[in-house]
Amino acid sequence: MDEEYDAIVLGTGLKECILSGMLSVSGKKVLHIDRNKYYGGESASITPLEELFAKFNAPAPDETYGRGRDWNVDLIPKLLMANGLLVKLLIHTGVTRYLEFKSVEGSYVYKGGKISKVPVDQKEALASDLMGMFEKRRFRNFLIYVQDFQEDDAKTWKDLDPNTANMQSLYDKFGLDKNTQDFTGHALALYLNDNYLQQPAIQTIRRIKLYSDSLARYGKSPYLYPMYGLGELPQGFARLSAIYGGTYMLDKPIDEIVLGEGGKVVGVRSGNEIAKCKQVYCDPSYVPDRVRKKAQVIRCICLLDHPIPNTKDALSTQIIIPQKQVGRHSDIYISVVSYTHQVAAKGWFIAMVSTTVETNDPESEIKPGLDLLGPIRQKFVSVSDYYEPIDDGTQSQIFISESYDATTHFETTCLDVIKIYKYGTGEDFDFSKVKVELGEEEQ
Amino acid sequence: MAMVKTPVLKVILCGEYGVGKSSIFRRFINNTFVPNSDRRSTLGLDHFEKPYQLTDKTVKLQLWDTGGMERIASVTSSYYKFAEAAILVFSLDNASSFHVLSQHLLDIVTYAENAKIFLCGNKSDLEGSSPQVTDADIETFCEQCHNLISTTYKTSCKNGTGIEEMFTDIAMQLVESNRSRIELQTLDHNSFKISNPDPVDEPSCSC
Repeated sequence: MDEEYDAIVLGTGLKECILSGMLSVSGKKVLHIDRNKYYGGESASITPLEELFAKFNAPAPDETYGRGRDWNVDLIPKLLMANGLLVKLLIHTGVTRYLEFKSVEGSYVYKGGKISKVPVDQKEALASDLMGMFEKRRFRNFLIYVQDFQEDDAKTWKDLDPNTANMQSLYDKFGLDKNTQDFTGHALALYLNDNYLQQPAIQTIRRIKLYSDSLARYGKSPYLYPMYGLGELPQGFARLSAIYGGTYMLDKPIDEIVLGEGGKVVGVRSGNEIAKCKQVYCDPSYVPDRVRKKAQVIRCICLLDHPIPNTKDALSTQIIIPQKQVGRHSDIYISVVSYTHQVAAKGWFIAMVSTTVETNDPESEIKPGLDLLGPIRQKFVSVSDYYEPIDDGTQSQIFISESYDATTHFETTCLDVIKIYKYGTGEDFDFSKVKVELGEEEQ
Repeated sequence: MAMVKTPVLKVILCGEYGVGKSSIFRRFINNTFVPNSDRRSTLGLDHFEKPYQLTDKTVKLQLWDTGGMERIASVTSSYYKFAEAAILVFSLDNASSFHVLSQHLLDIVTYAENAKIFLCGNKSDLEGSSPQVTDADIETFCEQCHNLISTTYKTSCKNGTGIEEMFTDIAMQLVESNRSRIELQTLDHNSFKISNPDPVDEPSCSC
C-alpha cells in the first residue's frame, strides 16, 4: 500500500468501479480500496439469502425459500435502458463480455388504481386503455411527431423550436390532457417530478426517443437486467480496472484522507500505512464531512412466491406510479425480477418498491406500490439518506459521487459518473475514445 | 443467422499470485514465455479463445486469467460465473501455494457449481529430486476433496512441457461430460450478450 498512485478510489460501488476502470484504461495508476469484504458496496447483490435476512435482523428464512445460494438480492433496484448510457459504456469498454442479460418483459404505468402497459408506438397508443378515443388520436400524433423529429433538421420541428420552447408548450400544441402528459413525462421520459415541463422540449423528446430506441433493440420492454443481479456490474468494471493494472484491496478500513497544502489531497491512511496519491474518488460514506443530505430514499425489498397480478405472469417487469396519480411530488417505482435471472430460488420473485421520501411516515408512502404486488412473503424496508458533495472537488482533488437515487434505471448514475470524470480529468467523457479491446475480437 | 456455432467453453485459472497462471495464459495464447513474470505483459489481456479439434467435434476453449486481482483482494465472484472448467494452479516448488488450494476450491464450488475442476502443478522444471509437493501430497489432497478434482497435470511454462496436452485433455473431458449440455447450449439461451446495434442505427460522425 505504501506506494504512490495517480488516483485512489474508495468504495467499489458501480460509480466508483466505472471511474476506476476508466482511469486505469487511460493509463493512470489506480489503487482501489473497499472497507467491506465484498465488491459492490451499496450496489452489491446480497447472497446467500440468509445474509439478507441477517442484514435486516430477521429470523433465518425457512426451507420454502429454497437454497440460500440461489439468491442474489440487489439492495438498490435498477434496470438498464437497452440503448442508454450504461449499455453504451459496457459496449465501449468491453465489459459487456463479462455479463449476460435478459430483456425485462413488461413496462407498466399506474392510473386510477390499476396498471396498464406503457404504450410506445402508434399501434399500442390506439389499443391502450389509458386514454379515451379522441385523446388516443392526439397522443398518436404526438408519438409520430417525436418519431419523425430530427435534431439537425428544422423541417421536422413543425414550427416549434424545441431548444427554446418548453415541454408544456409542446404538449399544448398537441392538445394532450394532464393524464397523458403524466404518463408521457414519467413512464416514457422517466422524469422524477414535473420540473421538466418548464424546461426546453428537446430534453424530453430525447428521452422519449431513448425509450423507443431502447424498446426497438430487444423487444418487449426497453429495459435489460443482468443475470445474477446488478452486483455483477461493478465487478465487471473492477475487472476492467484490474486488467489495466489497477490494484484492488478489500476489507481495508480507511482512517483518514490526508490533506496537504491548500487542502489538497496527498494520500489515504489505513492504520499506520499511507498511500500517496494525486486524487481521490469516492462515495459519500468515505467523506461524511464533505457531503450534505439532499433527500431520503425509501426502498422496500419484497419476496414473493408468485408473479405480480395483472402483468400476464411476467417474470420481470417495471411499474411506474406517476406522482399525481397518488397525490405526490415524486414517482413511486416498482421493479420485479425473478428466478429466471438467477437472483432467486425457483418460483420466487423479488419486487422492489422505491421512492423519494416526502413525509415523516415513508412506509405509508409506498403503500400504493405494495398494494399492487399481491401477498408478500417477506418485506425488508430501508430508508437511506441521499447525499451529494458540497463542492465539485477541483480544489481538494477529492471527487465524490452522489448516492443512488430512487429512479429504477441507470441514466442518472451514468450522468453523475460523466460529471465526476470531467471534473477529475478535465476531459469530456468521450464514448468513442474509451473503446478498448480486451483479448481477442468478438466472433 | 443460421450458422453452426462452435461451442465455447469458459475455463478459468485459479490459484495464488505468482504460481504461473499468467504464464499458462500466455503459453495458451501464443506459446511464449516471459521470464521473471513481467506483469505489464499481461496488461489489458482478458481472455482468449482457441479451437480444439476433437475426433468428432470442434470446441473452443475460452481461457480466463484473474487479472492479478488475487494479489491483495479477492477475485470477483463474476469471474467464476458461466465457467465450465476451473484449473487450480499451484507451483511445484512452493508448498504453501499448494496448501492454500482448498480455499480456492471452496470459491470454485461456491461460485461455479457446474465447473469441472482440474489440478495443475506448474513449474515442473523446478521440481528437482526432492520435490516440495510430492505425488503423495497431491493424491491425498484429491482424496480429501471427495474426488472433485477430475485430473491432475504437471506443466512447465518455462519449457512448455505439458501445457498443450493439458488443454487438449480438458477440451476432451468437457465435451464428454457436457455432450448433452453443449447441444442444449444453442437452444436454451434466452439470455444474451449486448453488442453494438447495426451501424445503420448510429448517426454517422462527420469528423
